[in-house]
This record gives sequence, C-alpha cells and structure tokens, in this order.
Amino acid sequence: MSGNLKNQNKKRNYLIAVLICVLTAALASPLRYILDLANIVMLFLLVVFLIALKLGRGPAVMSAFLAVALFDFFFVPPQMSFAINDVQYLVTFAVMLGVSLATAHLTAMLGKQKEAALEREQHTHRLYDLARELAGIINQDQVSEALLRYLAGSERSVTVHLLDDNGKLQSISDNAPLNVLADMAIQQGRLMETNQISDNQQRTLVFPLISPNKVRGVIVITSIDALDDIDKVQLQAVANLVAIAIERLHYVNIAQKIQIEATSERLRSSVLSALSHDLRTPLTGLVGMIDALAVNTAPINISMHNAITAIRNQAQAMCNLVDKLLDMARLHAGKINLQKDWRLYEEVIGSAIKLLKPSLTEHPIKVTLSPSLPLVAFDDILLERVICNLIENAGKYSQKGQPIEIRGFVDGDVACIEVRDHGSGFSTDQTEELFQIFSRGHTESTIPGVGLGLAICRAIIDAHGGTIKAYNHPDGGACVTLCLPLGNPPKVDSEMENSQ
Amino acid sequence: MSSANTVILIEDDPQIRLFVKESLEREGWKVIDTETGQRGLIEAGSRKPDLLLVDLGLPDMDGVDVVRDFRNWSTVPILILSARSDEHEKIIALDAGADDYLTKPFGIGELLARVRAITRRRLNGVDNSPKFSFGDVEVDFSKHTVSRNGNAVHLTQIEYRLLGVLLSNTGKIMSHRRLMQEVWGPNHTESAHYLRIYMSHLRQKLEVDPTQPVYLLTETGIGYRFEP
Repeated sequence: MSGNLKNQNKKRNYLIAVLICVLTAALASPLRYILDLANIVMLFLLVVFLIALKLGRGPAVMSAFLAVALFDFFFVPPQMSFAINDVQYLVTFAVMLGVSLATAHLTAMLGKQKEAALEREQHTHRLYDLARELAGIINQDQVSEALLRYLAGSERSVTVHLLDDNGKLQSISDNAPLNVLADMAIQQGRLMETNQISDNQQRTLVFPLISPNKVRGVIVITSIDALDDIDKVQLQAVANLVAIAIERLHYVNIAQKIQIEATSERLRSSVLSALSHDLRTPLTGLVGMIDALAVNTAPINISMHNAITAIRNQAQAMCNLVDKLLDMARLHAGKINLQKDWRLYEEVIGSAIKLLKPSLTEHPIKVTLSPSLPLVAFDDILLERVICNLIENAGKYSQKGQPIEIRGFVDGDVACIEVRDHGSGFSTDQTEELFQIFSRGHTESTIPGVGLGLAICRAIIDAHGGTIKAYNHPDGGACVTLCLPLGNPPKVDSEMENSQ
Repeated sequence: MSSANTVILIEDDPQIRLFVKESLEREGWKVIDTETGQRGLIEAGSRKPDLLLVDLGLPDMDGVDVVRDFRNWSTVPILILSARSDEHEKIIALDAGADDYLTKPFGIGELLARVRAITRRRLNGVDNSPKFSFGDVEVDFSKHTVSRNGNAVHLTQIEYRLLGVLLSNTGKIMSHRRLMQEVWGPNHTESAHYLRIYMSHLRQKLEVDPTQPVYLLTETGIGYRFEP
C-alpha cells in the first residue's frame, strides 16, 4: 500500500468519526427530555467503541474528546453552552473520557493484532508457496525467478549471488561496499545491512545462504521502506529455503556429472578394449603360426631358422608396441582408475623380472631391497608396467653381460625403486625431456623403440602422486629412480608364534 | 598320453584356432574347435571333453558366461585365452571356475606347458603321498614339518596353512579372495595385505632369492601360483 493512499484513508476515517459523533448528538438531542443524562453518556460510549472497532485508534481517541464536548454542549444544563451548573458533571466528563479512551485503546489493539495475524498467515502461505516452488526447480536461474515472484508486489528487489568452486562470488557488481558486505555476511554467517543515511535512500540487506554443509552464497535485497525485525526474520527464513534449494541443485549437478563421466568412461574403455582385441588377435595368430612353422618343418636350414626367429621377434616387438600404445591411450584418455592397495615392492619387482626373464637372458639382474621397506599403497598392475619398462630400457641400452641392478629403499617420507644399468648412460643432461612422449635419448639409434616407455612411466607415477627422475649414475650407467609417498600403512598384527 | 583325450576349443579367430588345433593334435589331443560359445557348450555337453579352451571375447556371448555355464555341471579343467589388459575379466573368469589363463599373444611352447600343467593335476588325480618336495625344500604333511637342505624350517600356523593350500593347488592360479577364504576361513575379516605379508615370509624362508621367486609366484593383479 502506498503512503499517499494510507494518508487519504486516515483523513477519511477522522471525517467519518466526526460525522458519526455529530449525528449521534443530533439524533440524541430530541431524546434529552425523555432519557436520563446517564443513558445519553452510554450512547456516546457505544459510538466511541464502534468507531474504535471500525476506524482505528486515532479517530476513536478524537471521538472520545468530541463526545465529551458534544455531551457537555448539547445535553448538560445549561444547554448550548460549555458552562456547567453542577460541578459533579466534571466527574461524569472525566469518567466518560477515561472509559472512552480505554475502550478506544483496547479495541484498536485487538484490531491490530488481528491484522498482524492475518499478515502472518499470508506470509506463511507465501513462504509455503516459495518452498514448494523451490523444491521443483532444476537450475539456478529458476531460483531468482521464484524469489522475484515471492517478492512481487512489494517494493523490494532481489539478486542471488552464489559462490563458485574457487570461493568467489558470481556475477556480483563492482560495487565495492556491496562486495565487502557480502564477504562479511559469508564469513560471519549473519545478516549485514547498509547504514541508512537519508530517509529516501535505498537500503541494502545481504543475507548469507547457509546450507547444512557450507555457505553457498548471498541474497542481496534492496528496499525503500524500512524493514522491521519481523521482516528480517522472515527474509532470513527465505534465505534458508533458497540455501537448501541450492544445496540440492549442487548435489543434483554432481550426480549428473558423475553419471556422464561414468558413461564416457564406459565408452572409452569399450573402444579401447575392442581396439586391443582387434590388434592383438592377428598378432596372436602370427606368433602362433610362426611357432607352428618352426616346429613342423622338420629339418630346416640355418637361414630359414634365422628368418623364422627374426619374424617371431618382430611380431613380438609389434605386440609390445601395441601394448604400449594402448597403455598410453588409456593413461591419456582420462582419469586413471588406480586399484590402490597396501602392497610390497618385493612382489611387483619379482613379477616384473619373471615377465621379462625370457627376453633378458643376457643380463644378470641383481635385486637389493632394504629390510625396512614397509607396505606402500600402489596399483600393482600399473607399477609392474613401470618396472618392466625400466628394466627393458636398462637391457636395451647396455651391453650383453652387463648387470642390471634394482634397489628398493626408504628415503625420508618416500619409498623408492632405482633401476640402474651399466651401459654408457644417458647421452644428454636434459633427462627430463626423456619423459616426453615420443622422445628418445638417441634419435638415430638402431635400438628399437618409439619413446613411449618413460612417458608411460611418468603418467603412472604422477597418478600415484610420486616422482620419477632419470640421471647418470656417478659410477657410470643410466639410472632411473621412482619414489612413491609412504602414507600410513596399516598395522599388521604379527601372528602368535605357534610353531608346527 | 592316451589318444582318447578330447579338448574343446572355443575361439572366434580362425588363425588362432588353426595353430592351436594343429599344435594340440601333434601332442595327441583330439581337438574339437568351435567358433561360438553356444556351439562350444553343445559340443562340451555331448563329447565329454578332458579340457576346455575358451577365448574371453566371443562373438555371441561372454567367455565368462561359458565358464560359468560349463562349471554348473562339469569339473573338467578350463583354460582361458585373454588379452593382457583384461585383469579384471580374468579374475571374474577364475572366480567363475576357470583354472588358468593364457595371455595373448602366446607361443606354442607356452600353450603346451599350460595345457600339460592343468591336465596333469587331473589325470594324475590327487597325490596321496604326504610328502612334497620342490627345490631344496621338503614338506611332510603327515608330520607337519618343513625342511630345507635337511634343516628344519620354522613356519607359523598361517604360513603353514598358506603353503598347504598352494601346494594342493599346484600349478593353478589362486585368486587373492580364494586364498584368503581357504587360509582364514569363509568369514575372514583380514585385508589382502595380510596375505602379501605372509607370502613374503614364506618366500623369505623357502626361496633361494625371495625377490626373484621360482616356486611361489605372483600373478600381478590376480593372485598367486605355486609352480614346482
């Protein structure tokens, strides 16, 4: 309701009150000879009561005085004069005024309470509507729309600003005071408002959006009329509703994202496994048939035997390359799904050596593991590939008969594996570049390979949160050391020593 | 090996089928090769095979389902053919009842060694001798003793039980889950790292070089295997 309209209404109410009082006096004056003066007083009291009930406190107070004046002028002898014959009428006036004023006050209070109750009910109803609307929304824009609908009709405007993932408020203006206010609201978790300077200035209120888990942003409300405490409590309730709605949206988003990721992950892995199947199947046939050829063709001459061995080795090399390319594709395709568990370096080193044994007959392998090595959390299949790649490299880049040394040790808060050969070492000091995809130490080397091995190692170790570096050993030979964080390995209760 | 041994080969690639068939026939097996899982299961039902070779990637059905189906009514050994990257699939197939797997690409030597190992157990039946020896280790199950080079080796209860389970499944891959169940019982609450620690103890006590074991082998991502 606008102030102007309210004022007009007020004036009208006073006018009506005056008219009613005058009318009562006019109607009652013919009766003044029939009725006792005490009954006339009753009549005026009734009128004041009715005015209080219908027109409010102001008109009622005015009519109380007017009624006393009219009663005095028209009814108390001498009539048509404010003078009185008997002093005892002063008591009548006082009682009449007192009762009228009390009635006016009480009745007006009652009316106000009723009004307030009605307003509260309306508010609750609107809040309920808002809650229902917020429960059904599916994106953040709809939050603002719902709020605007809620505030429709009042002279307030509202904007919603959410915190993004970096903890910054979105789409808030460059208005510095507002930013400060918003930050304070978020930090202190309570309402902040601008100091009111002049009566007509807009005031700004910033409500934090406090959801069960964290503060999700702020609602900024600007208003021309003053807000009382009840308004603020109501608006805080609205802010809480919005916060819960935004929290719900947040989790809906997360759920959707996870679903999309899972779908694309499934697609990716099915493409890769189809590719792997299609590439490996012909190679399996090839290797098998060469083997069959070697076994079947009874006496074969040396050159044929050499050819068969060469084809077999080439086919095997091809398989290794396909494996590496597929590994790389898988590692680069997205988040690596680590099957981390508490495991022993000893096992994964042992199984890597066993896998490579057939092709590494010319290099003695020496393993030294520190007895203090604890359980370390890693994905055994992936770490086995790393170690296989490192041992393979050590074999490729050193002479036949030169040993390969593998050491496992704890260094501060990391557990490391070092693979060292006794070859000529890295030709470059820029060993970091060796971990780039398709990078090779010797560009025109006759040693087979495309430079995927170390890149795969780096990707796997990075996924574990570890480090891997290559360097030339001071005593000669290339050396690669990988380190994984120790973490907190689970306690293993030692078995009760109970011999057989 | 008697000539009556029959193997059913379920593999969709004709080249692989061809060389596997030829190699096994040369070893005296009668090979029935099929292209699809359905056909393979029908053959398996009518031919009373002694061995099943199943490719995990079949055109008509999942190889794991073939294993599961077949295991419902037969205890004949099953050897899985699979690609390297399918560790998860392999575990499912092994838990479904497969006895061992071969990773593609494999050579004929590897194939024949696996086939021999897997069928030897069955053809020889359970070895009733209470004594078992490998390398320089001798285990006497009747006396509960383990000795190495004639010297007694002290094993804890769990280590002894673990060794027993591995020895009685010689050559066969035992998944982590399976081993835990057999050693700690069906209601075990221990995590897999206990198993790793006990395997490490066993290797330290029984292997010449525990970091390069010869008998107590790790099948990365899957489990363990004892190979004599």
